[in-house]
Amino acid sequence: MRLPGLKLERVLVLTGREAVKISVISIIVAFIIFSIFLFLEGANPIDAYKHIFSYAFDPKLGLQTTIHRSILLLFATLAFILPLKAGFWNVGMEGQLYLGTVGAFTVAYAYGDLPSGILIPLMLIAAGLFGAIYGAFAGFLRGKLGVNEIVITLMLNLIGYWLLYTLVVGGPWMGIAESQSKPLPVSAWAPMIWKMPFTVFFAPAISVILYFLFRRSNIGFQIRTLGSSQPAAEHAGINPLKISVFVMAVGGAIAGLSAYHMWAGDPSFHVIPRPEAYKAIGDFTYWGIMVGLICILNPLAAIPASIFVGSLKEGGTVLVRRLGLTYGLDYVFLGILFLTFVALQFFYRYRIMRVKKKG
Amino acid sequence: MWPFIVRCLEVSTIFLLAGIGELLDQRSGILNVGIEGLMLLGAASGFITALHTGSLLIGFIVGAVVGGIFGFLHGLFSITLKVNQIVSAMGIWIFAMGFTTFWADRYSGPLKISSPRIGGLSPMFFLAVALVFIVWFVLYKSHIGLKIRSVGEDPLVAEATGINVVRIRYQCVVLGGLLGGLAGAFLSLTYLGLWAHLETGGMGWIALALVLFSMWRPWILLAGALIFGTIWQFAIAPEVVIPGFGLPLGIVRMFPFIATIIVLIAISTPRFRRKWGLAKPAALGLPYIKE
Repeated sequence: MRLPGLKLERVLVLTGREAVKISVISIIVAFIIFSIFLFLEGANPIDAYKHIFSYAFDPKLGLQTTIHRSILLLFATLAFILPLKAGFWNVGMEGQLYLGTVGAFTVAYAYGDLPSGILIPLMLIAAGLFGAIYGAFAGFLRGKLGVNEIVITLMLNLIGYWLLYTLVVGGPWMGIAESQSKPLPVSAWAPMIWKMPFTVFFAPAISVILYFLFRRSNIGFQIRTLGSSQPAAEHAGINPLKISVFVMAVGGAIAGLSAYHMWAGDPSFHVIPRPEAYKAIGDFTYWGIMVGLICILNPLAAIPASIFVGSLKEGGTVLVRRLGLTYGLDYVFLGILFLTFVALQFFYRYRIMRVKKKG
Repeated sequence: MWPFIVRCLEVSTIFLLAGIGELLDQRSGILNVGIEGLMLLGAASGFITALHTGSLLIGFIVGAVVGGIFGFLHGLFSITLKVNQIVSAMGIWIFAMGFTTFWADRYSGPLKISSPRIGGLSPMFFLAVALVFIVWFVLYKSHIGLKIRSVGEDPLVAEATGINVVRIRYQCVVLGGLLGGLAGAFLSLTYLGLWAHLETGGMGWIALALVLFSMWRPWILLAGALIFGTIWQFAIAPEVVIPGFGLPLGIVRMFPFIATIIVLIAISTPRFRRKWGLAKPAALGLPYIKE
């Protein structure tokens, strides 16, 4: 590629600031492209953005749901970030969420008469454990045999979907309505703090823990070393199998925990809904891939990034109701954002320099 | 029984079209894990086109072209802009999930155009099998195939012998995209004959697994596609093969995905691994950077 007056230069070391700049620019470019899109759909873009964010952050309207879904997304993002730090692609957040659901609801249905103080921790442990086992399975295969973890985690997502389907639709957990599960016992409902389930504080806490894990701990160092170069890591005596099982299991556990947050933390659920509805939540976790990449695998940056995407997702519902646009425009925005981000990753490797004329 | 076999072969056609495109991609060193996305876009655009024009043929063409455009986009990202190939393909996949939800879900429903058939089979099946032969012939018996394979093995050496690495890779990735889009269009226009939310349901990922399983050989890919087509169709309608089949629907539907995991584990055992490692295009997944 030759351009007059400009030349490309390799970027050898990408500073954190440069990377942040690239992410921010990709968000701006996505907004511009999406504005054109909105305009073609027959809406005033500025007006639409005002509607989206005013709805999403209005305490009387969308704020509660915005926070709830943002935290769900944060769980998914963290479950994606941790394995990728070590070089493993965990796209199995959907499946791990479903398995966490199975774990939490098994405990809740079996010991529904226990007091909340015992039942809820048990449910959380079960959700985390089920998710962890699901993740660890893929991690083990990857570490031991080198099986492609992307395909495996994806297959596990689909298996998880049908597992939940078997249990709920006409299965042992069937409720009064055939396609929904039995409701959770009251003692399993998440206690609310300021109208938010207490699990809302879990995900940011995990972000902070992960941040220090990467920065300060021995295992964090091993994870980062393995992520940057497998031969170097093996040379340094790091066991890739141990690390891959560890990161995938913990990632799976984080995604599994989100199941309790999702179904017990939102007063409008307290059940496993019909397959289309829980599938929609499962699809939502895929945006964790984008959030994780855009915040450059930084667990602290993931907090505002998830709130941004969560508010867009929740606020996007007004485009249908108030402006009469087609459903799903928020998905389009996120898709455009992902593509602009991918395109701008070019600047991870190159920068464009102006050539000074000689003489 | 014959209608069941026809359905099996149709699913195999989908795997085969998507898989042979991906095989070509990977032979030239480009890994495109976003076939699922290409299929979704091809399925949606093909379906909507056929719905509006009433012509299946135009639907297939548009589906393939849209797949090709997004294949080109993957090439633009990963060849010219040198973005990580997995990141780029993930981007296209996630974009496709979001975009088809917005764009095609409003047309959810049946198509009501019946496909032409030869002995009950769609002509597309014969095209797919012919493609296997063509790709095999091109890869192993022709000059251009030698170029493709050498680009996938070692682009630096290929470049030194006067092969235009970038052009070969673009050709392969666009062709792979076309076939991915065509596979999607075949899914929505002939096999299902309807549009439903994210209707590919993991088929693209199975196609990707089949390419890994095939050790990048077209004929093994054909065998794999036939086996998985049968498993997939059995999971849809088990009672046709075994009357009074007792397992719940959800469990049966897991079969293709469980089978995929088993196959991937099997080809990763140390015995297979050695053969597999030799067959793998050495430059697969690596961006080609000229210094």
